[in-house]
Amino acid sequence: MLENIRAALPGINISETSYPERGYHLAMDAGREQILKVVGFFDNNGFCLEDLCCVDYVDHLELVYFFNKHSEPYRVKVAVRLEPDKPAAPTISDIYAISHWYEREIHEFYGVYFENHPNLAYLFLHDGIDSYPLRKNMTKVPEEDKRLLGSSVYKESEDTFFVNLGPQHPSTHGVLRVIIKMDGEYILSSEPMLGYLHRMHEKMAENRNYAQFIPNPGRMDYLGALNFNLAYVETVEKLSGIAVPERALYIRTITCELNRIASHLLWIGAFLADLGGLTPFLYAFDDRENILDILEGVTGSRLTYSYFRFGGLYNDVDERFKDGARAFIQRMWKRLDIYDQLITKNVIFINRAKGVGILDRNMVRKFGCSGPVIRGSGIPFDMRKVEPYAAYSNTDFEIPVGANGDIMDRYLIRVREIETSLQIIGSALEKLPSGPFNAEKVPKILKPPKGDVYHTVESPRGQLGVYLVSDGSETPYRMRWRVPSYSNLMTFPYLAQGTLIADAIAILGSLDLVIPEIDR
Amino acid sequence: MGKRSIYLETKDPIIKFALVEKVLDLARANSLWPLQFGLACCAIEMMSTAMARFDMDRFGAGIFRSTPRQADLMIVSGTVTKKMAPLLVTLYEQMPSPKWVLAMGNCAISGGPFVYEGQYNVVEGVDLLVPVDVYVPGCPPRPEGLLEGLMKLEEKITGTRRFPTPEKRW
Repeated sequence: MLENIRAALPGINISETSYPERGYHLAMDAGREQILKVVGFFDNNGFCLEDLCCVDYVDHLELVYFFNKHSEPYRVKVAVRLEPDKPAAPTISDIYAISHWYEREIHEFYGVYFENHPNLAYLFLHDGIDSYPLRKNMTKVPEEDKRLLGSSVYKESEDTFFVNLGPQHPSTHGVLRVIIKMDGEYILSSEPMLGYLHRMHEKMAENRNYAQFIPNPGRMDYLGALNFNLAYVETVEKLSGIAVPERALYIRTITCELNRIASHLLWIGAFLADLGGLTPFLYAFDDRENILDILEGVTGSRLTYSYFRFGGLYNDVDERFKDGARAFIQRMWKRLDIYDQLITKNVIFINRAKGVGILDRNMVRKFGCSGPVIRGSGIPFDMRKVEPYAAYSNTDFEIPVGANGDIMDRYLIRVREIETSLQIIGSALEKLPSGPFNAEKVPKILKPPKGDVYHTVESPRGQLGVYLVSDGSETPYRMRWRVPSYSNLMTFPYLAQGTLIADAIAILGSLDLVIPEIDR
Repeated sequence: MGKRSIYLETKDPIIKFALVEKVLDLARANSLWPLQFGLACCAIEMMSTAMARFDMDRFGAGIFRSTPRQADLMIVSGTVTKKMAPLLVTLYEQMPSPKWVLAMGNCAISGGPFVYEGQYNVVEGVDLLVPVDVYVPGCPPRPEGLLEGLMKLEEKITGTRRFPTPEKRW
């Protein structure tokens, strides 16, 4: 791989990095004018754009592209240096569809201008912003930019009209707003509007020390709170080189999987409610409450857990937890049969789900999707297998994969993932070693060494990546969250084109969105 | 916590029908229809409260309406951002009188954990936008907390508490 890249991209500074320490295999420094060439190379070689973010180093800005390959995981970081005064870079939105949205985000938060970008209007922020939020020295937004950045204006033609879906709409699962352009009953185009729940998590990270940020990730994705908590804690551990005792790793695995089941159950309920069936909602919440009871006993909260600490856990699990988890596994296997009869074999549901919202492999790559969405399209890409973290390398499980990439497949994948999670919990409970649950000598105020690190975990919604830049002080210099729902949501305009509103709701539901995670 | 006039627009009605008003208040307190409107994490706990185990329907408040025009009670369940603020006010204004607002969770009460120097996007308390009747603290509050808030609201509407306060055991 390395030789191929070297041969294809002469004149670019390429260096190999230590993957266990940094989280990426290769680092590249490209110039502004080389971006298109580099990105074109990765596109031709089947890479997907995992993340695109920006870091403000005061004397210069750095655009950071992360590429990865689904078939043979190999993460490449491409850094592009930009001038702090009127920064500009060419857009790659015509190569990778997802970068359209990433670039809009960067433009909004850093003022980087992307040449030839079709629409650089505000995505997250309200119109009253006067300085770029994530710039270190409060750079003012220029007046002409404010006009450009302000919300888009929509014009109706003779045969079309607009439907405004959200932000207060029961089936958007939060405060998402989608503007849909209709031609009669069919959707011509649609555009998601974000930022109704932008809570400045990334900015907050730069304002407090490492330990103080622990409660935040759980509030980003409240359904997969433990997975988000884990991603943050493990990133910091990776950067500071803290070794975690094995018992803690197993407990992390068990609790995360319980959390994943709870999240999938809620999704099943909410998704079926979108389609018009309220009964599964009650069933799913009944099972979910059982998981919450188990987790509440050890974590102390019902929803927004912050259970993990640097080097271990907040407290150890007891016999009650273990018995509760075992009892839950037995109960859940029986309940899955009920779900099977109630939903999977339901003719109305099958007709609504089969053959609708088909996402093919190429589009999945262009949008950088992950989680059940990508596995529904037939790509066995799961961070638990690809880049094992916690104790996943010691547990044996299979990744369920779909065939068609339609709504039905995404549904079946999630149901089968509940089964795999049950297996993982069962085997991890058996193997659970005794010993300490916290690493010794973790300082109260962490000061990780200077450098950057990328770490991913598999949240219930997909690949969650944290890119952390440290300057050696108590507070993170920059923390970027690559959230799974973001790239999954952006497939919606593509999937919804030409469908009816009712199908669009089904598609939106099948993507399993959590809005605070997208808005951060 | 005094009793508020049921008519928000007219402070004192010209003719008072004390008994009728009392009966109406009792009816209102026992059939609060909340607006189905979730903002953030607290919305999930609000859903849990409405589901089988906690069953908000026991108190007549289980019928979540998707349109503000049929709702009496707005449960602000989560962080209100500056982009969301005008829409929240619109929703409130679309609700017919008499109407009540319950601020659920620390974010809705005061901005919660998202308040710090230099923050640019969070409204520090929903009471800056609409009048709030009951505050339920927590991050997020437990379903029992929300139910207690609901009973407080009933108390505010009728003037009497329907259920006895549970004994303190600790």
